[in-house]
Formats: sequence, C-alpha cells, structure tokens
Amino acid sequence: MSKGGFSDSYDAVVVGAGNGGLVAAATLAAKGCKTLLLEQHNLPGGFASSFVRGRFEFEPSLHEVSDFGPPHDKGNVRILLEDKIGIDTEWFPVPEAYRLIIPHEKGGRLDATMPFGEEEYLAKMEEYVPGSRESVYKFIRLCEEVVDAFTYLGQSRGNPDKKVLTSKYGNFLKTASYSLQDVLDALKMPYRAQKIITAYWCYLGVGVKDLSFSIFAAMFYRYITKQAFIPRYRSHEFTTALDMKIRELGGDILYNTRVEKILVEDGRVVGVETSHGDRIKTNHVIANTSPHTVYSRLIHPRTAVLEIAWKTCNARKVGFSAFVVYLGLDKSPQELGLNEYSYFIYSTPDTNDIYDAFHRLERPIGQATVCLNNAVPDCSPEGTSIVYLTTLFSGDAWKNVSPAEYFKLKNRIAEEMIDEFEKVVNVNLRDSIEEIEVATPATFARYTGAFNGGIYGYEPVVWDSVLPRMMTMNEEKYIKGLEFAGGFAFRCHGYSSSLQSGETAALLTYKDIMEGK
Amino acid sequence: MTGDRINIKIKPLGILDLLAFKNLVPGRKKRIQKAPATVIGSLQPVNALACKLHPAVQHLIVGEVREETGDVRTYRLLPHKEKGTEQLAYFRPGQYLSFTFEVEGATVTRPYSISSSPQEALAGYYEITVKRSDGGFISNYIWNNWTVGSEVEAGGPEGQFYYDNLRDRRHIVGIAGGSGITPFRSMAKSILEGDLDISLTLFYGSNRKDEIIFKDDLAALQAASGGRIKVVHVLAEEKVEGFEHGFITAGLLKKYVDLDSCSIFICGPQAMYEHLDSELAKLEMRRKFIRKEVFGEIKNVERLSGYPAEAAGKNFKMLVHMGKRTVEIDAAAGESLLVALERAGLCPPSVCRSGSCGVCRSLLIKGDVFIPADVDGRRQADKKFGYIHPCVTFPLGNLEIVVPRRKVR
Repeated sequence: MSKGGFSDSYDAVVVGAGNGGLVAAATLAAKGCKTLLLEQHNLPGGFASSFVRGRFEFEPSLHEVSDFGPPHDKGNVRILLEDKIGIDTEWFPVPEAYRLIIPHEKGGRLDATMPFGEEEYLAKMEEYVPGSRESVYKFIRLCEEVVDAFTYLGQSRGNPDKKVLTSKYGNFLKTASYSLQDVLDALKMPYRAQKIITAYWCYLGVGVKDLSFSIFAAMFYRYITKQAFIPRYRSHEFTTALDMKIRELGGDILYNTRVEKILVEDGRVVGVETSHGDRIKTNHVIANTSPHTVYSRLIHPRTAVLEIAWKTCNARKVGFSAFVVYLGLDKSPQELGLNEYSYFIYSTPDTNDIYDAFHRLERPIGQATVCLNNAVPDCSPEGTSIVYLTTLFSGDAWKNVSPAEYFKLKNRIAEEMIDEFEKVVNVNLRDSIEEIEVATPATFARYTGAFNGGIYGYEPVVWDSVLPRMMTMNEEKYIKGLEFAGGFAFRCHGYSSSLQSGETAALLTYKDIMEGK
Repeated sequence: MTGDRINIKIKPLGILDLLAFKNLVPGRKKRIQKAPATVIGSLQPVNALACKLHPAVQHLIVGEVREETGDVRTYRLLPHKEKGTEQLAYFRPGQYLSFTFEVEGATVTRPYSISSSPQEALAGYYEITVKRSDGGFISNYIWNNWTVGSEVEAGGPEGQFYYDNLRDRRHIVGIAGGSGITPFRSMAKSILEGDLDISLTLFYGSNRKDEIIFKDDLAALQAASGGRIKVVHVLAEEKVEGFEHGFITAGLLKKYVDLDSCSIFICGPQAMYEHLDSELAKLEMRRKFIRKEVFGEIKNVERLSGYPAEAAGKNFKMLVHMGKRTVEIDAAAGESLLVALERAGLCPPSVCRSGSCGVCRSLLIKGDVFIPADVDGRRQADKKFGYIHPCVTFPLGNLEIVVPRRKVR
C-alpha cells in the first residue's frame, strides 16, 4: 500500500482527484502502471464530496448517479466501480425519477411525479397526458437505439462498420444532428408530454431547442431503465473509497499539491511541476480539468499551445456553474410534507427562456431540489431532514459581484429559491432551518479551481455533443501524452459520464504506454 | 433492442437527415476554424472573486497595539502591500482568522476571532484581541513579539459563528466568557454600521470588574444603539453594585429576555461550555436556536468521559509519512496529534484546531486513538475509512499516519 510518499518519475500522472481523475488513477494503478494522483485540495472528489455543519453532513452537488442499476441489473457505473475497480461503498436507490412542477404551464399547472421503469413511466404519462402513449413509446425506442449505438461505438474502438451502423442504428444516425426539440416535434408528441419528458434537461444545462438529442436520449433511457442511486454517506464515501483503492493498488496520492505546470517538449508531455516545487517526470498526463484551464494555466511553455487549440476552446462554450442552498431542518420529511426525493420546479415553461435567465444575476426561475432522506432515511438524525435546492448560473453572471455585497446577495437568492419552493410545493421550510449553507459559483471555484466556477463541461449542443466529440477525438488531441477526464471529456458532464471518462482516459493512456508512444 | 422498428424522419425525407449526420464533423471543423485564436486569460472573474473572498494568505503588518486590560491587548493589523496583500478580505461578523507563526523552529497556527467589523476591513484594518495566559504558548509569543511594524501571516476569514437571517431570530442573545467577547464586538459594531439588522443582548461573564474587556467600548456601543444593543455584565469573583454576580444561568437569561424570541450565540472557554450545556438544557430550546463557536484546543483530555485511564500520562511514538519524508516522532497522551506534529517541526496543515474544518485531515494507518465525541467533526465516510482530524485526536498507543503537506500559499 502506498503510504503517502512519492517518486521522481511515473508512468502516468493524473492531475485532479475529481470523479474522472480518481477512476483514471485507480484504473491505471490496477493495470500495474506506476501512477501519481495530484490534487490541490485536501480532499478527493472535486464536486463529489461532502461537508459537515452541526449535526448534518451535506452533499455538495450530486443529485443522483444514473446508469448505475440495482445489483441484479447493473448499469455501467456500478460495473465500473464495483466489479472493475472494486470499491467498498453502500448505495441507495432513489425512489422516483422526479416530480416536475411547472406552475404556470399553458393549460394550467403541471404537476407530475414520474416513476422509474419503462412500463411504469409510459402508464403514468398516459394518466397525465391521455393519448401520449404512442409518441412516448416511440421516443423511448429511439432512446434505446441511441444507447445501443453508443455501446456499439464503444465496442468497435473507433472503427465502426458503416454497414452495421446504417442498418442497425439508422435512427441514431438520422437524429444525431438534431436537437431534442426537433425530435419531439417529429414524433408529434403532445405538448404536456414533451414538458414532462424533458424535465432532466437542466442536468445537461442547455435549452431543449439547442440540446443534442443523442446525449439527452442516452441519459434519459438510462435513468428510466436503470433507476438512479446515491451513496449512503454522500459522494465523499465513494471518492474516499476510490482514494483507499488507489493506495491499496500502489498508486500514490498527494493532496494540497497543485500542479503548476505540465511540462511539454517537442509537442509531448515530459513532466509536471507542483506548487511544492516537485518536478516529476512522466510522459503521460491525464487532466481532470478543462482544456481551458490546461491551456491557459498549465501547459509550459505556453507556446506549446497550438493556435488550433485556442480556436477549439473558443469555439466551445463552458457550461453553467451552480448555486446551491443546503438546509438542515429540524423536522422529518413527513412533518414537513416532503414526499418526493427529487423536485424540478420551472417557474417559466420554456426551457430556452430559463437557460437565458441563468445568464443573468436575477431571481432563479428553475430549480432542482432534493430531499435526501427520501432515499437515505438515516442521512440525518431522527426527526431531521436534509434538503438542497439547486439552480444554475453562468459564471459571468457573477463577474461584477463585489465581496462587500456577496453575502447579502447569496442569502437574497437563497431566500427567493426557498420562497418559490414553499409556494409551489405548499410546504414550510423556513421555520425549521437549523443549519444553512449557500454555495455560489465562487464557492465551487474556491474548492476546485474550476474555470470560472463551472460545474459542467462544454455545453452539449448538437455540434459539440458526444458523437462529434468522439469522431474528432484523435485529431483534436493537440499535445502528445495528454488525455482529458471529467466533465470536459468527450462523454460530457454528469457524474456517470465523468466517472466513466476516467476509465476511457486511463485505457487510452495505458495503450500508449504499452505501445511506447 | 425490442422488435419494434421505428423509422424516424426529422426532415420530410430521411435522406436529408443522413446528410445532416454526414455534415456533423465537417460542420464542427468549420466552427473551430472560424473561432478566434484568442489566448484565454489565466484568471477568470469568478476565480478572482473566490480569491478575494477566500485568500489563501493575507500578509499583514501590525499598525497599532492597545492595552485593553492588564493581560489583554488589541492588535490592529493592516494589509502588507509590499508583500502583495492589497486589500483585506471581507468577512461576516463572528468569523475568525487563522494565523501562522514560526516559533522555535516549529510552524504553528492559531485561530483568533476578528474583534473589528467588516466595514473596518473595507477601511483597511482588522483587529484581534489577545489575552496572555499562563502557559499560553502563542499568546505569550504574540505579547512578546508583536509590536508596531511586525509582519504577520493569516489566512482568509473562516468559521460559521455568524448571524444568518434565513435561520436565526432577529434578537440574538450573546453569551461571552473572557476573551470570547471578541466576535460579539464585531457583531455589535456591525449593528451600528447597518450591516446587521438585529438586536443583541449580550451576557458577558468576567472574573472581576477590572478584567472586563472592551468595557468602555461596549458601553459606547450600547449608548449609541438606540436600544438595539444591551450588555449585561456578570462577575464571577466579586460583587459590585450594578453588575450581576456569579455564573450565567438559565434563570439569569430569563430575567432579561424572552427566550422564545431569541437565538443564543455562545463563545467562551471550554469550562464555560461545560457549565452552559447543563444550564441551557433546562430551557428545552430547539437546537437551531443555540449556536456555539468552536473553542479550540481540548484541554485535560484525560479527564473527559470515555477516556481510557490506562493511557493517561503515557508517551508514545508516531511514525509519520508526509510527502517524501517518513519520521518517527514523540506523541504524548495528553496532547493532540496536531501538537505533536508541530512540536516535531513537521509543519502540518491546520486552521480551526477544534475538529470541525477538516484542514488537518490525515489517514490513520495503524494504532488506537481517542477522539472526544462532541468535537468529532469528521465526515461519516472518513470514520468508515480511517481518516482522522489530528487537532482533536489523541494517541492511546504507538501510531502510524499519513499527513498531507501544508498547502504552499
């Protein structure tokens, strides 16, 4: 077991112990590579962490992990963490997919609680929107084909048989260049069913008129068919379990150690330099951070960043940051009247309007709120509950905020979100707040160093979604020996994507190491 | 796949959809080629805001030293601009700063509540107020070494001991003991400066009248507050006309305030917390209305309940892995692992020294330890996997631990 020491040279160095970095380091260490994981913070996980206030331990960012599946029907993430890496973490299923409330929807308030399971989902939708079944059924079949096609693409390791693609996955190809809204329109899905089925859009952070259909389809299908899960002791449980596994496999981890430079010679990685002045030789770096950060702050010399690399960054748009209100309440969920785990509340019907509003520093008009106890009953002491309310902001919405107005501003926005939740769900949270913490884009920037506080990767709009990223992965590799993991990698953001991105980056790096590249 | 084949067309002709697909990569390339090659700046606005709110380090310089009582001094600290600190970080009244000291070859930290107000930080100074105590390693160091012009190093504002309008009642009952008055002075000033829209009734326990810190200050704040600030002095060791006598009890609080409309904030020494815990239990208030500042280093751990008597007074060995170093050091039963690490000159990271912030979080590989339950602020998964907070962890035998290096700031 690694006991905290480190050497002067490694097969691979992983920069950042977020979801992608942890999985990458564990995967490489398991393959016998001499691996070093460097993290600027004193904890593993990045956004996948936890913090304690009074008698409550809060989850900073996770709502649920999708593509996880129950033990008898494992999803890719459970297979990755439990079977391939083998970590010791207890997971709880989330009880329902979501409750969606749009108070001012066309035709009156929309309030739908949707279950997991394809048949259950279809039946419930028909109940809320009579006549929707056929189009929703077709939508789910399309989503299934997208998932199957991605699985095939993964198995073909970048060399898919074009005949197989066109014959078996024709719908996947035909929808790949369209938005979610384009496909919903083509299916002639009833309006209110469209609203219900697109509720998860905010997890990808792009309005449905611009959001890539493929990525939404893959996410939606995995949610509905594989349920969603959360760890018993917040994300800090699986990230610490990964830390322990990496050490057990002989990988070295250094916390409080920021990478200052990724050293590049003749277009390839030759080492890293840390905030402690450590100079470590390696020909392979996996960066669990954004290309924006890597090119603007880490690559040394800066002239090693090609013009095309800057163009690629500038063509893409860094996704949203978040604003989260964490509440420790001194009443049980039953006493509070909170019956669901996950609430999506959209104060305005149009997702693109909400998307636009997230760019302005004003009253949030969309929130995703979780009552953790409804999935993990003992996550807080008996007679208490943990609720967190999340909205999104672009980092730039906060760029002119001064420290002197910061605390009042964040409490004002927190209050607006609590008010909206109370009004729409018809409950009272205010009188039971025992602990409160509020995270803003600056908070996420503080703990992770994320580019402008972003919690998402590049926006998965049609032209920059998973498929086009996959198809251009090799040609957009601008520095030899450098791979990316995390929300900015080709799978896009979200816990399940970023975790799996770590495995992909590790396998690509391992291949290069074996081939002496 | 299920057997149902569907055949989607987005455009009227499916063939157009396939063309659109074929255009996906060329379209992407065109977008990238058309994008500007502008070099991206290394400090984004939100990251800059985070640095202003939570600077890793604040270089300060002592600008003024004031005697408060015979053994209490207030130090006014100014930004040390030549060392790169242009502005002081804004904070919430009640927060503290963690100072770093190099003393006798050891790097040691201490948290001190800020006794000045946020407006004063904007105006260019912090104040901290330090009581010299017998055996107080750092308080004596400050007394002996800090004079006008001394260079001082602190981190950013820390801690959760502050009023929150979404959680607390607007009438705050402050209970302070000795130098625990410091965060309340900051709050009281903020009331007058318009930053805190609350009223404050302060019960301030001192041993003797001449030991009351900020006596005149508090009187002036009360006088100028238009009834929003009231101070009740309680003297433990002498009876003086116009002052309450004894300890702060539930009955005394009830004599002055309607506790059904208050939130209680407590800051003082360990002994006062032990006394108040039983007094406040009598009030049967909801926990949300009672907030306590962490009190720092645990003293007399060996007499806490649950402590295994056989370990008391013993000396152990601790094998420490830190970066590239592995060293064996001494660890005394009565001292926290953090103190042992500091004594050995290892320069471990720490901030709150009270078990809650987790900055000293380290991995216990081998050995038994004692962690007092009421200060065990660890995450549940850390308990599961054997991570500890050395500042509130005490050795019960020989140990082996992995300690992260302190962040370079």
